Amino acid sequence: MTINHKLLDILRRGRNEHENHLIDGVVREAVSRREFLRYGSVLGLSAPLLGGISGALGFGLAPVAARAGTPGGTIRFGHIVPAGAINPVTIADPGGVTILSQFAEALVLSAPDLSAVPLLAESWAPNNDGTVWTFKLRQNVKFHNGKLMTADDVVATFDRLADPAVGSNALSALSGMLSKGGTRKVDDYTVEFHLDAANGNFPYAVSTDNYNAVIVPAEMPDDFEATMIGTGPFKLEKYTPKVGASFVRNPDYWGAAPLPDRIEITFYDDYQPQILALQAGEIDIIQQVPVLQAVGLLADPTFNIITTPSSAHHQVHMRTDMEPFKDKRVRRAIALTLDRPKFVQGLLRGKAQIGNDSPFMPAYPSTDSSVAQREMNIAEAKQLMEAAGMAGGFKTTLTTEKYLEIPDYAVLIQNAVKEIGGDITLNIMDQGAYYGDAVPGKSPWLDSEMGITDYGHRGVPNVFLQAPLSSTGTWNSAHFANAEYDTLVKGYIASLDLESQRASAGKIQTLLLDETPVIFSYFYDFLTVTKAGVTGVVATAMGHIMLAQASL
Amino acid sequence: MNTQTAAAGWRGDLRRLSRSASFDIGVVIVLFWVACALFGPHLVPYDPFADDLLNSLMPPSFAHWFGTDQLGRDVFSRVIVGARDILTVAPIATVLSTILGTALGLTMGYFGGVIDEALSRIVDAVLALPTVIVALLALTALGTSNITVMVVIAFSFAPVIARTVRSAVLAERGFDYVAAAELRRENTFYILFIEILPNVLPPILVEATVRLGYAIFTVATLSFIGFGIQPPSPDWGLSISSNYGLIGGGFWWTVVFDGAAIASLIIGINLIADGIEGLRHD
Repeated sequence: MTINHKLLDILRRGRNEHENHLIDGVVREAVSRREFLRYGSVLGLSAPLLGGISGALGFGLAPVAARAGTPGGTIRFGHIVPAGAINPVTIADPGGVTILSQFAEALVLSAPDLSAVPLLAESWAPNNDGTVWTFKLRQNVKFHNGKLMTADDVVATFDRLADPAVGSNALSALSGMLSKGGTRKVDDYTVEFHLDAANGNFPYAVSTDNYNAVIVPAEMPDDFEATMIGTGPFKLEKYTPKVGASFVRNPDYWGAAPLPDRIEITFYDDYQPQILALQAGEIDIIQQVPVLQAVGLLADPTFNIITTPSSAHHQVHMRTDMEPFKDKRVRRAIALTLDRPKFVQGLLRGKAQIGNDSPFMPAYPSTDSSVAQREMNIAEAKQLMEAAGMAGGFKTTLTTEKYLEIPDYAVLIQNAVKEIGGDITLNIMDQGAYYGDAVPGKSPWLDSEMGITDYGHRGVPNVFLQAPLSSTGTWNSAHFANAEYDTLVKGYIASLDLESQRASAGKIQTLLLDETPVIFSYFYDFLTVTKAGVTGVVATAMGHIMLAQASL
Repeated sequence: MNTQTAAAGWRGDLRRLSRSASFDIGVVIVLFWVACALFGPHLVPYDPFADDLLNSLMPPSFAHWFGTDQLGRDVFSRVIVGARDILTVAPIATVLSTILGTALGLTMGYFGGVIDEALSRIVDAVLALPTVIVALLALTALGTSNITVMVVIAFSFAPVIARTVRSAVLAERGFDYVAAAELRRENTFYILFIEILPNVLPPILVEATVRLGYAIFTVATLSFIGFGIQPPSPDWGLSISSNYGLIGGGFWWTVVFDGAAIASLIIGINLIADGIEGLRHD
């Protein structure tokens, strides 16, 4: 590549140490162009600046295709019924997230390509060690009640979400990172986040990834569901719990004028009726369809499938503190019996990426792609079993939830381990019973010898690295406790530049391949179905459906 | 009337039954599934548990008569072998409920009075509870297993049988042979089970056959909801439950054959019940 050093030097001025380090990385070709754009967005480099640097480096920024949709009309879509009241503090299910995404917005959008895109925040930057992040807010953004959104609303929103006393679901992402009082107003349009520990990927914690983190007025009414005041492109018209909702265009929206006049939402208990409703023309969009149910639609030209690559996956945990999985060689042997490409091809119809037994999926910029992919190897698996003194095989029970492809995945694992003498009995429960009280001792999810658990998408692997794998993690089904791992993860989370993140990632990946407390054999795509001809639909793998620029 | 004449009557009944076309069809269907349950694994062309992901969801063909499911398993082999679970659980549950219901019905009908009143109210109370709801409660509380399913069905069906037996016993109670036995000072157990029971067998038999049909339906329902039988069992209800979402995609063969199997078995059993019932009215 031809580098315009003169231009680059001009662009470097005023950039901080981390930003310049990233630019160095891409100049030395240690960081790819795509990774540069993604991680640059996390560090808060603006799109024009990223474009300028790309230009100076000779590869230019891909032009954003402007889609001209037709304004007007009503878009009707279906999704799974929200589990509880619509309250941004407590929502924990995809159905609730979908509703939230109609009328409320976060500071940052965790985009389908994993980059961090400004929404209610205009820009952001960390201090030198990543412990304080300063966000500049967008001005002239009005809530649906006519009030201007200011730093006070942002501070109140995050204090509420970080408050252990209000039943905040966002604590799973914020605890240990941001405490109540850590969010401080600098002026009306500037907010500082003072973190509990350094964090190089903090913008994702205030992005759509942390779906509870939508900005709502400082005085949030108790009966939030009745008004649903946010800043989003649509305003609440009517909400009937368990039945549906309708929203109308927000004429005061800060961004480009929303195209649809109205959004009509119908709730469903299951996927099959939604597919029938779509086929009958009653709805235009299905928010999410499991791949096996979408198979029939994949080849149908009257429908369009939006495939959003995601880090959602099914974790197979093995209790590292219990027989027969105490010996890491047994855990490794089990992982070696799985034919991952076949799972992706057959079970997930190609709509997934192969996993390498760590949360680092190939698409994360920080993933060390030089770590070799684990492949099926029965001979090695048998050797490992013999070395572990388990040549005679083992017996265990695999407990899991009836959700998406998981029961089928369980059967495939059961069949695969037969090769090394594994005798697995399946115990497939409904989701409520599997998660139980979600505390050790009262939850098959956390107590079972072996199990499979669904994990939703995250734009960065931080939650996956901590909750299910660190020795103090609250979702540690494998009961994995490894001091070296804990230290590596702490280092990874604190590091601000991509190259050192990747160095830590490589060590974590290698350690997890050796220990294999959890099998990550695939990361599945998120499928949204629309009627052919519907354009401008933006879906995230967290459950958001953004229709501001959609048209029929 | 004594047991010997009753037995002679049975032989005649059986002869008359075998002349009924619907009864014969019922027997053929049920025997077919019983044979599948007993010898299925030796008869089928493929291992019903072996996955073959790269050949999943293939439509019916010469190689796979009923096509393959989402894991590439042969649907024909699974339907045939799938008879086993349901034909173990449902009949055992029915036998248990018949034994329990008969004992209860004999007691209620023979003693009458306060005992009858008290037991009848309990029976009414149990009958008021929907079987599937009771089963779900019990399975949640006790954990899912075939034994729990059997016990739950036995307890839920026993009251119906008890009621039928009670009315039959009430009619028998006034006959002289009962009074004669009482005069001989036979003990109550003898009077109930040796004297009265053989004479109320026909209605019990009909009731048990009908209950068997319901039991099959209940087992299928429970495995459809996800309780009871666990994967990878080729059980019909379970297969329908895990595959019905695929119908929208056009993969009807993963569901239709299991559904037809359940339907045929229940129809077969009901044809038999109709035959026996018809005999009583002749």
